[in-house]
Amino acid sequence: MSIARLQARRLFASALPWVLAALSLAWLAWRFLLAMDQFLQAQDKLAALPDAPGFTDLVTVPLLAQVAELGIVLAPLIGMSMLAGERRAGTLPLLFAAGIAPWRIVVGKFLVAWGWLLALLLVVVSMPLLAAWGVAPDWGKLAAAVLGVALFLGVLAAIALAASACVSHPALAAAIALAVSVGLWALNAGVRANGVTGGLLNYLAASSHLQALLKGWIGSVDVAYFVLLTALALALASQRLGADRVRC
Amino acid sequence: MSESQTPILELRAVSRRRGGRPAVREVSLAVRRGEVLGLLGVNGAGKSTTLSMMVGALAPDTGSVWLDGLDLAEHPQALRSRVGWLPERAPLYDELTVIEQLDAAASLHGLRAGARRAAREPVLERLQLGDLRQRLVGHLSQGQRQRVGLACALIHAPALLVLDEPCNGLDPVQVVAWRRLVAEFAAEDRAVIVSTHVLAEVAASCNRVAILHQGTLRHDARIGADVAALEQRFFTIATQTESA
Repeated sequence: MSIARLQARRLFASALPWVLAALSLAWLAWRFLLAMDQFLQAQDKLAALPDAPGFTDLVTVPLLAQVAELGIVLAPLIGMSMLAGERRAGTLPLLFAAGIAPWRIVVGKFLVAWGWLLALLLVVVSMPLLAAWGVAPDWGKLAAAVLGVALFLGVLAAIALAASACVSHPALAAAIALAVSVGLWALNAGVRANGVTGGLLNYLAASSHLQALLKGWIGSVDVAYFVLLTALALALASQRLGADRVRC
Repeated sequence: MSESQTPILELRAVSRRRGGRPAVREVSLAVRRGEVLGLLGVNGAGKSTTLSMMVGALAPDTGSVWLDGLDLAEHPQALRSRVGWLPERAPLYDELTVIEQLDAAASLHGLRAGARRAAREPVLERLQLGDLRQRLVGHLSQGQRQRVGLACALIHAPALLVLDEPCNGLDPVQVVAWRRLVAEFAAEDRAVIVSTHVLAEVAASCNRVAILHQGTLRHDARIGADVAALEQRFFTIATQTESA
């Protein structure tokens, strides 16, 4: 916890997370208002349909999907300095000299990066819930979508941290994390464009697992995919950090 | 100064390569409470690498480091409460205030909230940092940063204080204050290891000297009254070539 506390203090002492949060929320609020407007204008047409999609399908879930897409850019920016910056400033040996194991350093920092992304998600979820006060949302679908986006944000934070553990320059860490995250996201679309469906590459794409959760289907395979990917990235970061003590 | 028999720190034949060449070779050394050991050597002698292994920041390639009877390879957590370390460039977080920096250091060394608050004020007073408590670390001068670094190394009252070139960036008044602080610290039945390439610094503040040269320990003895003899010894060792 001491690592997480220190990291949180450092993160919120800098301007970057505040600027990113402000810009992201402004953008998402605008998108939300547009979606709301379209939803209200389509009320008459929707009322005529027997199984018409509701507020959750048309406003909330698309908004959450945009949080996931935005996370691909935000997570590398939030996580880039967490280890690369420490290595650059020469403060990493100080953590080792305090007898803190590399995995504890990685997990502490991951919790802060993920926590920041989750806080953003929480604020975004509250927008449609407050706007639709009195309207009963589809709680099951909403919970599945929030779970999916939260898990996906965890993967992105872990990838950002792993990239940050591998290099000494934060900008390079951000570029690596962005490339890996985009690749993981776009893999499915790429192989589908080549006519491949249901293959290993489709399975490895994060977007295919997230889509299932956004539709309200909570499958153990999808949850396990996100948890394993997060654990793998964190293990890589810990291993690389531990090697600093041996290789430097 | 009292000296107990159990070493607070023991290096057992530690070796370490850096950048493809041996930086430290088969160094064995024991430090007991009450001792102020000066680790002396010219630039590149292996002092900083030895110090980094002492505090667990680097793992030795061979050999072992023992802290208070515990092998660091098996008990890395032994470092947490026992060792305070100030590297050559005080590693500080520029975006934090002095008080936040101290709090973070105390927390990393396992102090809980109440203990952190209690430990903070005496250290701030001892290092004359009271007026700087709300200043951002990034806005401090070199000497002030050095004192904050030292405060971070002292905040958890460690049994062993390890300092790498601690007088860098300090003015003469601060150097005298620093020597007094080291003497007080050792008098509290703790140990101090000071790495420096300045012989006068060792003679003024240490009661034992270990001379490193080309990664090996060449001399280890208590400092007597004859500083000129020590100077001659250091000069002889420091001018030896690899083949000698």
